[in-house]
Amino acid sequence: MIVGRREAWTGRAFLVLLMLVTIVPFVSLFFTALHPSGTYPAGLDWPSQPQWSNFVTAFDAAHMGELLTSSVLIVLGVVPVSLLLATMAGFAVGHLRMVGRRPVFLMFVLGLTLPYEGIITPLYYQVRDMGLLNSRWAIILPLIGLFMPFGVFWMRAHFVNVPGELSEAAQIDGANTWQQFWRVHVPLAMPAISSLAILLFLWTWNQFLLAIVLVDDPAKRTMAGALGAFQGQWGTDIPLLCAGSLLVLAPTLIVFLIFQRRFVAALLQGSLKG
Amino acid sequence: MSTLASVVEGRPATGPRAARGARRGRRRGQGWVAWLFAAPAIVAYTLFVLVPLVRTVQYSFYEWDGIGPSPWVGFDNYVRVFTDPELSGTIVNAFQLIVFFSGIPVLFGLAIAATIRRIATSRLAAVARVVLFVPQVIPLVAAGITWSWLMASDGLVNQLLSAIGLGGVTRAWLGDFATALPAVGVIGAWVLLGLCTLLLLAGMSKIDPALYEAARIDGAGPLREFFSITVPSLRQEIGVCVTVTVIAALASFDIIYIATQGGPGNTTMVPGLEIYYQAFVERQVGVASALAVVLVVLVLVCVLPIQRLTREQS
Amino acid sequence: MRRHSYRRTALGLVVLAATLASACGGPGESGPQSTDTAAALTEKPTCGKEPVTMSAYFETGFPMPKALTDKFSAQFPNVKWEVREDQFAVITQNAPRVLADDPPDLMRLPQVSELVKDNLLKNLDGYAKVFGWDSWPASQLEQLRMKPGGGARGEGSLFAMGLNFSVTGVLYNKTLAERIGMTSAPTTLAEFDDALAKAKQANITPIVQFNGGATGGFAFPLQNLMASFGEPGPINDWIFQKPGATIDTLSNQKAAQHLADWIKAGYFDRDANAMDYAKMMSKFQAGEGLFMFNGDWESGNLDKQMPGKVGFFPFPAEKGDKVAAMSAPLTFGIAANAKHADCAAFFLDWVATNADAREIAVAVGGSHPMGPADAPMPEVKKGTVTAETLAAGAAISQDNGAMDFIANATGAIYAKSWTPQLQKLFAGEQTADGLLKSVQSDYEDQVGS
Repeated sequence: MIVGRREAWTGRAFLVLLMLVTIVPFVSLFFTALHPSGTYPAGLDWPSQPQWSNFVTAFDAAHMGELLTSSVLIVLGVVPVSLLLATMAGFAVGHLRMVGRRPVFLMFVLGLTLPYEGIITPLYYQVRDMGLLNSRWAIILPLIGLFMPFGVFWMRAHFVNVPGELSEAAQIDGANTWQQFWRVHVPLAMPAISSLAILLFLWTWNQFLLAIVLVDDPAKRTMAGALGAFQGQWGTDIPLLCAGSLLVLAPTLIVFLIFQRRFVAALLQGSLKG
Repeated sequence: MSTLASVVEGRPATGPRAARGARRGRRRGQGWVAWLFAAPAIVAYTLFVLVPLVRTVQYSFYEWDGIGPSPWVGFDNYVRVFTDPELSGTIVNAFQLIVFFSGIPVLFGLAIAATIRRIATSRLAAVARVVLFVPQVIPLVAAGITWSWLMASDGLVNQLLSAIGLGGVTRAWLGDFATALPAVGVIGAWVLLGLCTLLLLAGMSKIDPALYEAARIDGAGPLREFFSITVPSLRQEIGVCVTVTVIAALASFDIIYIATQGGPGNTTMVPGLEIYYQAFVERQVGVASALAVVLVVLVLVCVLPIQRLTREQS
Repeated sequence: MRRHSYRRTALGLVVLAATLASACGGPGESGPQSTDTAAALTEKPTCGKEPVTMSAYFETGFPMPKALTDKFSAQFPNVKWEVREDQFAVITQNAPRVLADDPPDLMRLPQVSELVKDNLLKNLDGYAKVFGWDSWPASQLEQLRMKPGGGARGEGSLFAMGLNFSVTGVLYNKTLAERIGMTSAPTTLAEFDDALAKAKQANITPIVQFNGGATGGFAFPLQNLMASFGEPGPINDWIFQKPGATIDTLSNQKAAQHLADWIKAGYFDRDANAMDYAKMMSKFQAGEGLFMFNGDWESGNLDKQMPGKVGFFPFPAEKGDKVAAMSAPLTFGIAANAKHADCAAFFLDWVATNADAREIAVAVGGSHPMGPADAPMPEVKKGTVTAETLAAGAAISQDNGAMDFIANATGAIYAKSWTPQLQKLFAGEQTADGLLKSVQSDYEDQVGS
């Protein structure tokens, strides 16, 4: 295919423009974070005396160490369990072809487009009556349930394409269903599982609504939820707020940059399948 | 394990042999074991999603403040959702947001993807792929805070406008009655544009180049190419873009909560935020639940047709 | 198509389940709620000698409560404080939930009527009796009294306390005032209007006032104008939800129209609808405004940031005869189910009676401490904003001109009614008349429910 030079350059220009539009807000955030606390600097304006200490102040003021720990704990609570449950259910529906798999699958599909606001009100009272309000379980348990539709959908899509011969061969070798699952199918499903893990990690870390409704203490929320509280407490101090926002952004950004290719592939596939 | 190894190496995964294998599996009657595998997921889902969903419907028929008694009010809450401008206005706002959250990412995404399709394998595109995903990776709240700052009266947007001579147009975009909702729409468009562009680009790379060659030979210009070949081939990807962005617009909460809190006045109030206010601030659980049911139905009504229109029957 | 019919079946099942569920009865409890009557106390409660961790929920940006709790811990080392801070609008939103499900020992309170109706606040009558709060000047605690179970405010049991009581009015930049030849505070409305016009001509922003976000700060100048044109009595009746009270009176209409005229004349900072409280303070301190309608809770702050450059005067009456202003206790309360209610009550009494605490209330809080009329007042330097606000407070209580804030009439009137209407007024999308009628209609809906 002959690529016209003008077309290639137009394409490059567009791409660069698009990337600028994506990046510039973060640059502005960064510049503003370096201004003296309590001031209202204009948009893109490198300060005369960069206050690198703002990041330290924001870190302390928001108790970022606690927030990181809290988010990690919540992710550890949600993602492994969700992966296990979704893989098992996807296996049952997609490979074991269980009786009644169509209604069960459709039941999960119903939840694919469900907005969280549709259930947040009774969820609040349910969690309160369970005595879990204001604890990390208030975020962990509902999220596990909420991730089931997508998780089961995703894993089923993988398992549907796995040939029955694999299970049969394992059965001949004396493995029962559980052993077949663990020894044969899970290793085979690793690409799908790891993509799912990335998606679930992202959605848990960035979860906001559940965090602010079900948990009052910012130290027990996800990082996104804690940012909401940070905005409430320091929203009037713009440089500090910007510094704090950047610190909250940093973990997902760093994880993203390390696992770029897996992330992008997972997000693209995730949207297509869902 | 030797039998297993031979299976993994030798046989193809699809085709009539696989189907026969599956049928043999079914005959072995693994019914109840399969249910054991599926049970935990079903329990978690039922307990934390289905039960609350049913309860939302239940609550919508009562008037309750969360603590005291709850008298039955039938469909009154639903009537209120559709007649009280404060509530029905949120639905209108959500639809207006669809124009920004869906329209811009899909249309611009198509245009941009078509333009950069030819250099899709270059190193620049590889870098772009990473950069353009960043808005999808950060919490929506962070995007909201960032853009609130950018659109403040002395923020970057106004700085740029002044720099190109449009100083008279500058204002506090998120605080002005007329521009607050479009401003929120811009934030959403920024978050979703990268995703749509990349999705469409990925779809475009699957289009058979022979089609384009044939069109070139027939003398078709780039625009004809675009409308006759590119767009129709991207039906599924466009469907996905539209679905994801429409749901994002209708169920929006994070961005508006952090940027405008629904103000000024009621101009940026959306159903998601209004449900939160009604349930947890105004203590009107019944009204909140009715609005929540309406929102869920609305999402289904908007998404199902899109899925049917654009998804290839698999 | 088979898929479609399965979907219908699934939906049908959900609807069936929901119908069955709704038939099973509502979610709430049946039966009357027991109203909280205070237990009779025989001796003054204390915080004891054992280590105690008090949970508190304060407003961000106001250092006084934190300063008080720090001083308290210094004097009583066994008591520690776990303080959570949020913006006032968020506190207002969270109050019912937090009090019901995660009760703090001490909490900055927004409007209390609905909280009392839902039995979320501790009845303080027992403490009032044993600590002797009942013998303080009645006007200090009037706004915090209600009948248990709800109703009009102004009399009944005590459900909240104040850490001090504040006075509001107009703060002005002395440097800018000199530039327009304003040498003394205006004493009539006409003189104030005159000063506004002169400032506008001299290219100085006459009034910098916040009106953005969830809290419409134009309520301050509006209420000041209402008291200027009319009497504080009827306004207080409306705020206290006395039956038959209305905000849509002739003198209030004049006041609202006067405010609209100011807006049209461009006397307000043009970003008002996007400005929040902190931005207003920031602008005023940067010298970008002559007048600011605010309260004495900023006196301490302004004395530190702009020493000698700021003055205060209560908003003048139309004819300059009597003065009235919003003056309210900084409302704090104890949750009905608080774990350490006795210690919290002891703290509240300590704030009003301990000399160090009173010093902090004046120096950091800039306001008059609560307490008996003859309690010792800390020394204040002449010429400071604090001195002027304290003097104004004395004048207002002499003229019986203390009003609560119109924002406090009901739990939702500020966020849902005053704020959007005032924002519309500033944007030119609402008339003065329409503003009052709309708010009165919302008020009647909210009080009636």
